[in-house]
Amino acid sequence: MDERIVVRLVLNGEERSFRVAPGRRLLDLLREDAGLTGTKEGCGAGECGACTVLLDGRPVPSCLVLAASCDGAAVVTVEGLGGPAGSHPFQRALVASGGVQCGFCTPGLVMTGAAVLEAGVTAPADQARLLSGNLCRCTGYVKVFEALRRAGEDGDG
Amino acid sequence: MNLPVEAVLRPRDLGEALSMLAEDPSAVPVAGGTDLVVQLRARRRHAPVLVDIGALGLDRIAVEGNALVIGAAATMDSIARSAAVREHAPALATAAGQVGAWPIQCRATLGGNLANASPAADTAPPLLTAGATVTAAFPSGQRRIPVLDLFEGPGTTRLAPGELITSVSIPLDPVPAGARRVDRFVKLGPRREQIISVVSLAVRAALLADGTLADVRIAVGAAAPTPVRAPAAESVLEGRPPGGAARREAARALQEDIAPIDDIRAPARYRRLAAAVLLDRLLGEISHG
Ligand SMILES: Cc1cc2nc3c(=O)[nH]c(=O)nc-3n(C[C@H](O)[C@H](O)[C@H](O)COP(=O)(O)OP(=O)(O)OC[C@H]3O[C@@H](n4cnc5c(N)ncnc54)[C@H](O)[C@@H]3O)c2cc1C
Ligand code: FES
Ligand code: FES
Repeated sequence: MDERIVVRLVLNGEERSFRVAPGRRLLDLLREDAGLTGTKEGCGAGECGACTVLLDGRPVPSCLVLAASCDGAAVVTVEGLGGPAGSHPFQRALVASGGVQCGFCTPGLVMTGAAVLEAGVTAPADQARLLSGNLCRCTGYVKVFEALRRAGEDGDG
Repeated sequence: MNLPVEAVLRPRDLGEALSMLAEDPSAVPVAGGTDLVVQLRARRRHAPVLVDIGALGLDRIAVEGNALVIGAAATMDSIARSAAVREHAPALATAAGQVGAWPIQCRATLGGNLANASPAADTAPPLLTAGATVTAAFPSGQRRIPVLDLFEGPGTTRLAPGELITSVSIPLDPVPAGARRVDRFVKLGPRREQIISVVSLAVRAALLADGTLADVRIAVGAAAPTPVRAPAAESVLEGRPPGGAARREAARALQEDIAPIDDIRAPARYRRLAAAVLLDRLLGEISHG
């Protein structure tokens, strides 16, 4: 019983292999097996967005994803978002705009926001709609939306 | 945390998946997991053996002959963005773009939404109005089931154990010359995003050059044990313009078509009022172009 499963990932650009229990969630593989505790667990039920990571480039709630389903996939977490240049433009804009308070929602939020920018979505209403699954109980969202708009406009700046 | 699962099997093609499901009667397919993982975690469902259907290549969306064919593993995100879906089944594109929020849409699949058989499944009303059929595969063959006949009750379908939905087909029925196809979906809940519908409604019809409706189809979600068509409201509207008296009569007739219940999200009485308002709203939009 509980035959362990091999999961190979390109995790934040690096090839990694994990042996996990069949019921392992991607969230726990990241936090506990890979030690990447940037990704947070809020609700554990797909509703808050705190656990959002990029799976093959798309934002997904890692609390609802079976690690076993990810074999061969590319995963990016908040730790791998910025690359060698440092932080991602949306991260810098969040800091500059005051869009971070307690910070619990931030790692998930920046993943969805980065995907919004990557998808080339610039209309503020569409940006807000795509971010609507990332709940934040501190900021009231205004500065978050402002940061995303700025990051989109500034491109790399 | 680990989910209460003893094995996850990862077949590489449909045949392998079907034989895995046939060999072990306790095996359950998993696609995006956005329903199943929630149920497993809450111990509302016992499924010790999962068969992951994510690598079977069932995510294609294409026009094939006279039908728009959407693979069962196509995600809501890919359906909402698909040019073919937006052209031929715009109400389905709208509904897919309103399932949960974006990260959910990037995981949630069409097959999972249908097989989970929630009365509130948002893709069901637009598929009912489009006359869609699912193709279901089992080890010795496959069959087609109209979406209307797929649902048995809340959470139950007429799929046999081990049977897999492989795709959903939407017939490309042309509208008469000079007519325009209208195909719309609307849902109501306490918030615009990331909510399960309190009521949802789809309308598909041909709007003829003289301003009247033909081939009117209406479907309602979360207002009966399964998503349902609304024949009484449909027949009120057939051959009439979508505004004026027909609009009011249809909203009234709709009450005969639905059988809502009281639950955690809303009382039945509210659902009845809300369904009438949603139909009224869509007919208003249609009559104003
Ligand atoms: C936060 C949140 C918000 C949500 N919001 C909405 C919403 O607004 N509207 C809505 O309709 N739904 C909503 N859902 C429910 C869910 O996301 C959808 O029903 C989704 O489409 C399920 O697809 P899946 O691929 O994740 O299914 P899974 O969880 O993988 O599977 C669901 C069920 O279908 C079976 N199954 C899956 N694929 C197949 C197949 N091809 N053949 C046969 N059986 C199959 C599985 O065995 C399981 O029983 C929400 C869920 C969450 C967590
Ligand atoms: S912890 Fe995953 S969505 Fe809340
Ligand atoms: S900054 Fe506190 S939850 Fe968003």
